[in-house]
Amino acid sequence: MKNVILLTLDTLRKDVLGCYGGKGFTPFIDSVQDRCIRFTKAHSPGPYTQAAFPGILTSSYYLEYGRGKMLSEKRALISESLKRAGVTTAGFHSNPYLSAYFGWNRGWDVFYDSMEDEVDDKVPYIKAGEINNKVSTWLSSHIGGIAGYNPFFLWVHYMDVHEPYVPERKYVDMIDSSIRLNEKEMFWLFKDVLLKRDVSDKGVVELLRKLYCAHVREIDDGVREFFAILEKCNVLKDSLIIITSDHGDEFGEHGGLSHDGKMYSELVNVPLIIYEPSREKAEVYDTLVSLLDIPPTIVYLFGLNQVDVFEGCSLLPLEDYPTKGVFGEAVDKHGSTEKGEEKEVHYYCEDDLKIIYRERDDSWELYDLDADPKEINNIVETSSAAEEMKEKVRPRVKRYQG
Amino acid sequence: MAIDKEISEKRERQCSKLIELSKDVVREAFEKFGHEEVGITWTGGKDSTLTLWITRQVCEEKGVPLPKAMIIGEGDEFQEIEEFVETIKKEWDVPLEVCRNEDVLKAANHTLNAPVKVKDLSERNRAELKRIGFDGEEFPFEAESQVGNHLMKTVVFNQFLERNSIKGIIQGLRWDEHPARFNDEYFEHKEMAHLVPEHTRIRPILHFTEKDLWDTYAAFNIPYCVLYEQGYRSLGAKTTTVKDSDIPAWEQDLENTEERGGRRQDKEKAMERMRQLGYM
Repeated sequence: MKNVILLTLDTLRKDVLGCYGGKGFTPFIDSVQDRCIRFTKAHSPGPYTQAAFPGILTSSYYLEYGRGKMLSEKRALISESLKRAGVTTAGFHSNPYLSAYFGWNRGWDVFYDSMEDEVDDKVPYIKAGEINNKVSTWLSSHIGGIAGYNPFFLWVHYMDVHEPYVPERKYVDMIDSSIRLNEKEMFWLFKDVLLKRDVSDKGVVELLRKLYCAHVREIDDGVREFFAILEKCNVLKDSLIIITSDHGDEFGEHGGLSHDGKMYSELVNVPLIIYEPSREKAEVYDTLVSLLDIPPTIVYLFGLNQVDVFEGCSLLPLEDYPTKGVFGEAVDKHGSTEKGEEKEVHYYCEDDLKIIYRERDDSWELYDLDADPKEINNIVETSSAAEEMKEKVRPRVKRYQG
Repeated sequence: MAIDKEISEKRERQCSKLIELSKDVVREAFEKFGHEEVGITWTGGKDSTLTLWITRQVCEEKGVPLPKAMIIGEGDEFQEIEEFVETIKKEWDVPLEVCRNEDVLKAANHTLNAPVKVKDLSERNRAELKRIGFDGEEFPFEAESQVGNHLMKTVVFNQFLERNSIKGIIQGLRWDEHPARFNDEYFEHKEMAHLVPEHTRIRPILHFTEKDLWDTYAAFNIPYCVLYEQGYRSLGAKTTTVKDSDIPAWEQDLENTEERGGRRQDKEKAMERMRQLGYM
């Protein structure tokens, strides 16, 4: 395989994709599953962008190296290793947390973060269509030479699922044409309900969920267009594509909205799909994996030596992937209404068990994901596995001071 | 004032080639739009001053006057820049329009961070606020915030184009100035949109690196604003720009450090986006 593409979709819950049992909001992504390996138990190392992306692009955890918004020099960006090895690296996105200002532009030959462009409050990012145009322009010029082109690593990140949920009319109609809200009213829901984390009215929460699904339907068209660009440039056949999300979104499952510092499945279970153009039949892989495994996978695909500081394992070849538990960590105050000092939140998942630790109230929760996938019944007091699970997390709490 | 730096003959030839490339862009612009319908943006900064210097050479060669120039007055200017602009305007006979959103300045009582009440603004400014989705009752007067940036810069820019029937507007952007600029082209057509006139953006000096630029200034004795000598590398509004160092810009480590390190607006833009996404 000549090129590797990483396509990350901000805020995309796993369970809304058709191929993961959702209701048909992602016809395009579902339609290419025959050529994909689909990971059913992929975990993000954090419930929001800042906590998740150090895993996705540097194979390291959020609470290491100090957790400023600035990307620590000690973290190794996948782009840096690849560029040093002579691979062309290009990144296109519109997420302020991943902007050049915070240091995420290291190691890219081409880096677009949209921070120079004007956006408005209702759509405070550059949408997939425009990102695709920029990718198309770059790709056409990169492959344009007569002597063939240098292998590339392309990272594209779409913000379109992220709140405020103000989808285009036609996508609202695809989800529920009885919703007659105009843009202003949708935006009002964002400001007056979502930002306040107000889940008191179940009907309104359901309405928010539908608008979110309209965004999902919209981004599926963005992905379709992206594939068409790759096809048009004749690089699809030579590119392996990893598709994932940094975190999910909550609609009242655990008393909140959006994606704050919680570690439940609606936030940390993410889709992870590897598209291989030459694959002939779908493969479903049920082992626990982490998004920290993405950078080592990319290094493996380019046939390079593994990077010492990466903490994940290559997902490929599947038969060599180890059975292991997965961790996640964040602080709890992110975007939420809690007051006072930020406190750590951790989770660890092994087989069907998941333990969550909250520093704020020094509390533990343990869930049997097989019997209780919605994480409602805390069995930490009764399970014989509780102590062993706690032991995995304890050394990670407050391990980095400074 | 000229830069005291030895430029080799070889380097001078390289700079001449870069200038020639830029002149070709300006010539093409004049052919496409006619020199009367071309405008130029100027800030008094190093990029737009080089662009103006190059454009002026093409005008001399063609025997036509300099295109109409605009400078945006955002109410937070360095006095040193204003003085430099005044000097060059006289020396080069620049047909300069100082473009200010007087309506907003008045509503803010010409005071930075003063609250501006939306109801005190003109219909056009209110329509512009609506267009960018702002529905608050007031905002602080600050040119780098999203609202301030739009009213103080974008709106007056659009009005300048409309007022002068400008079809092509020359700008001093460079590819290496910011990572987001890599994709910019010498000519970029903008379609007409609500409150935005159709126009083409012309960027003759895209290919100059920061080092090329200062070597060109030195080789051809191009005048520059004194702030660069004091250590500023990139100039924006007065209160959001800080000095990078105490040595002149051209003596700093241009290749291994960030040109825009001293501009707070990059941080503010990121913060603004985070707020819009519902964080903080």
